[in-house]
Amino acid sequence: MTAGPSRGRRYVLLLLLLCGFSIILFRLVTLQVLQAAELTARADRQHQKTVSFEGARGVVSDRHGKVLAMNVEVPSVFGVPASLESPSTAARTLSPVLNIRSAELERKLRQDKNFVWLARKVEPEQGRRLEQLSLDGIGVVMEGRRFYPKGPLLAHVIGFSGMDGQGLEGLERRYDSHLHGEKRVTVLQRDALGRTVFPKGLAEQAATPGHALTLTVDEVVQYIAEKELEEAVAHSRAKSGTIIVMEPRSGAVLALAVSPRFDPNVVAALTPDRWRNRALTDTYEPGSTMKIVVAAAALEENVMTPDSMVFGENGRMVIANTTIHDHEKQGWMTFSEVIQKSSNIGAAKAGMALGEQRLYRYLQAFGFGQRTEIDLPGEVNGLLKAPKDWGRRSLASISMGQEVGVTPLQMVSAMATLANGGVMMKPYIVSEIRDEKGRLLKEVLPQVRRRVVSPDTARLMTTMLEGVVTNGTGAKGAISGFRVAGKTGTAQKIDPRTGAYSSTQFIGSFVGYVPAESPRLAMIVILDEPQGEAWGGAVAAPVFQRVGEQVLNYLGVSREDTVKIALAMKDS
Amino acid sequence: MKMLTIVAGVMLIFVFVWERVDVVRLGYHVERLKTQKVLLERERDQLQVKFSALTSPERIAKVATERFGLVPPLQGQVLMVHEREEVPGPPLLPVEQVRLAKHVSPGRASE
Repeated sequence: MTAGPSRGRRYVLLLLLLCGFSIILFRLVTLQVLQAAELTARADRQHQKTVSFEGARGVVSDRHGKVLAMNVEVPSVFGVPASLESPSTAARTLSPVLNIRSAELERKLRQDKNFVWLARKVEPEQGRRLEQLSLDGIGVVMEGRRFYPKGPLLAHVIGFSGMDGQGLEGLERRYDSHLHGEKRVTVLQRDALGRTVFPKGLAEQAATPGHALTLTVDEVVQYIAEKELEEAVAHSRAKSGTIIVMEPRSGAVLALAVSPRFDPNVVAALTPDRWRNRALTDTYEPGSTMKIVVAAAALEENVMTPDSMVFGENGRMVIANTTIHDHEKQGWMTFSEVIQKSSNIGAAKAGMALGEQRLYRYLQAFGFGQRTEIDLPGEVNGLLKAPKDWGRRSLASISMGQEVGVTPLQMVSAMATLANGGVMMKPYIVSEIRDEKGRLLKEVLPQVRRRVVSPDTARLMTTMLEGVVTNGTGAKGAISGFRVAGKTGTAQKIDPRTGAYSSTQFIGSFVGYVPAESPRLAMIVILDEPQGEAWGGAVAAPVFQRVGEQVLNYLGVSREDTVKIALAMKDS
Repeated sequence: MKMLTIVAGVMLIFVFVWERVDVVRLGYHVERLKTQKVLLERERDQLQVKFSALTSPERIAKVATERFGLVPPLQGQVLMVHEREEVPGPPLLPVEQVRLAKHVSPGRASE
C-alpha cells in the first residue's frame, strides 16, 4: 500500500469539489448581487399587477348647496387573461350580464396582457350579478362615475369630465387640480400558478376625494334663464341664444344660459360646437348696446349733457363717402333722446366729439378688447383695434357698435359697471373651495377692477337708460312695479360669402339692470339670427322682462308699488 | 408559594392570550364597520344624486304644471310683504293704505 496514488486522487477530488463550489459561488454572486435588481423586478412583474384608481371628484354645488355635479361609486369589470382557463366560456357567461357581444369580450380576454378592462362604470345591478357569478380571472372594482343630476342645467358652465376622471370642459377643466381626487395605487398579487389573489376589501378601499366647489350661481335663477331662453330661441327660430345674469355690486354670476343646451351625462355623440360656452368664447358686433359706452364717456368728459341738442340729419349722414342711416328720420333731439331712440347719427356725433383717443380709452376702461378674467376656460379678448388702425369711418362705426367684437360677458360687465355707480367688478363664478372634510380652502370675495366713470355720470346714465324703457326702443323690457334701465341692440352680421353686412342676418340683444335705483340684477339677452322681426327691442327685451320679473319675485325684491306692511302685531 | 407562582404564571399567560384574541376580534369588528361605512357612504351618494335629480327646478316645474295644473304667476300677481327690519325701503305708509293692502291680501292681514 503506497500513499502516492491515494493522495493524488484526493487532490483531484478536492480540485473537482473546489471547481464545483466555485461555479456555484460564481452563479450565486451573479444572481444575488450582479443581477439582483433586474431579477427582483422580473419576479415582481410576474407576481404583482399594479392598478391605479382615482379618488372621487369633488362635488359642485350652487350658492345654496344644491348639488350640480358629483361622483357615485359604480362597478368596473376587469379580466386577468392569464388566470382564465377558458376565455370563450368566460366571455359567453359575461356577455348577457354586461350587454357586450361575446366575441368582443373573448377578443379582449385572449390578449397577451396581465390586465384588461372589460366594461367600465357599469350599473350597480350588473356589478352585483357579476359578484354572484364569482368567475376566476374576472374582478370588479369600484370607480367614481360623474353624475350631473340636473341634466342640461348649467352644462355650459360646469362642463364635463372624461372616463378617467379628468376635467375636459368648463369648470371641470378649469378647476381640475382641485376637483380630481387622490390617485390610489393597488397591487394585485398572483400565486405560484399565476392566479390573481384579489386583496380583501379591494372594492371597499377609497382614495381621498377631490375638493368641493360652491358656485355663485343660483339653480332657480339659472332654470328661469334657461327656460325663457329656450322658449325665445324656439319662438324666434334663432340659431342660438345667451343670457347672463349678474349681481352688479359683486360681479357674481347668478346665471349663465346658452342655447342650444346639452346633457353633460351624454356627451359622446356631441360635437364641441354644442358644448362651447358662447357667452365668453364667441364675439359679436354689439350694435346699439355699445352706445352706453359712448354716452357714458361723453357725459364723463362733459362733451354732452343729457339735455344737449343733437341734430339727427333727418336720418342720413355721410361720413367718409359712406352714408349712416337711422331707422327713423330725426331732426333736433336731446342727447337723452339719442339714446332712447337709439340714433346712430347722434351716437356717431357724440363719438366724433370725443375723438379717437378718448373713445378708445373708455372702451378699454369698460373692459372691451381684454378678458374679464372670469374663472372659466376659453374666454377670448374680443376685437378692439388701436386708433392707429382705425379708418376714416371707424370713429362713427365704433360709436354705433360696428368694427368692434365683444363677448356677451364683456357687454353685461360694462352695463353692470353703470349699475354699480361706475365701479367695475371682476366677474366670478366660484365662491368657495372646501376640502374633503369641509374645511374652507379658498373663499372668493368680490374684487374691484377699477372705477370707470363717476357716480354722477352713472346716475345720469341710469336716468337716460330708464328713458329707453319708458319712452324708447326698449319698452318691451319694462317690468311692472320696477324701474328698469336698459339698452336695445340690433346688429347686422357680416355675411361670410360677401364680406359685407347682411340684410337678413341679425343679432338682437337687450342689456340692462333692475331695479334701476338700487340694482340687484344686471342682465344681457342675446338672440343670434332670429327669423322674422329681429329688433333687439322686439325679440330680446321681452325675454329680459320675463326673466327679470320671475327672478325678482324669487329673490323677494320689493316692487315699487308694493305697500310695505310691517308686521307690528308680531312685534307687539 | 410555588403553587401561587404557577397560578400567577398561568393567569398571566391567560390574560396575554385573551388580550391577543380580543385584539384580533376587535380588528375584525373594525374591518366590518369600515366596510359598512364605505357601503353606507356609497348608498348616501346614490341617494344624494337621486334627491338632486328629483328636486331639479325643471322637474318640479313640470310636475307642478302637468300634474297639479299650476301656472306661473302673471305680471303683478306677486305681492311681497316684508317685516320692517328685513329690507330697507320707503317709510311705512299711512294706515288707510295698509288697509288697502289688507284688502288685497286678507290672509296676511289677519296675522
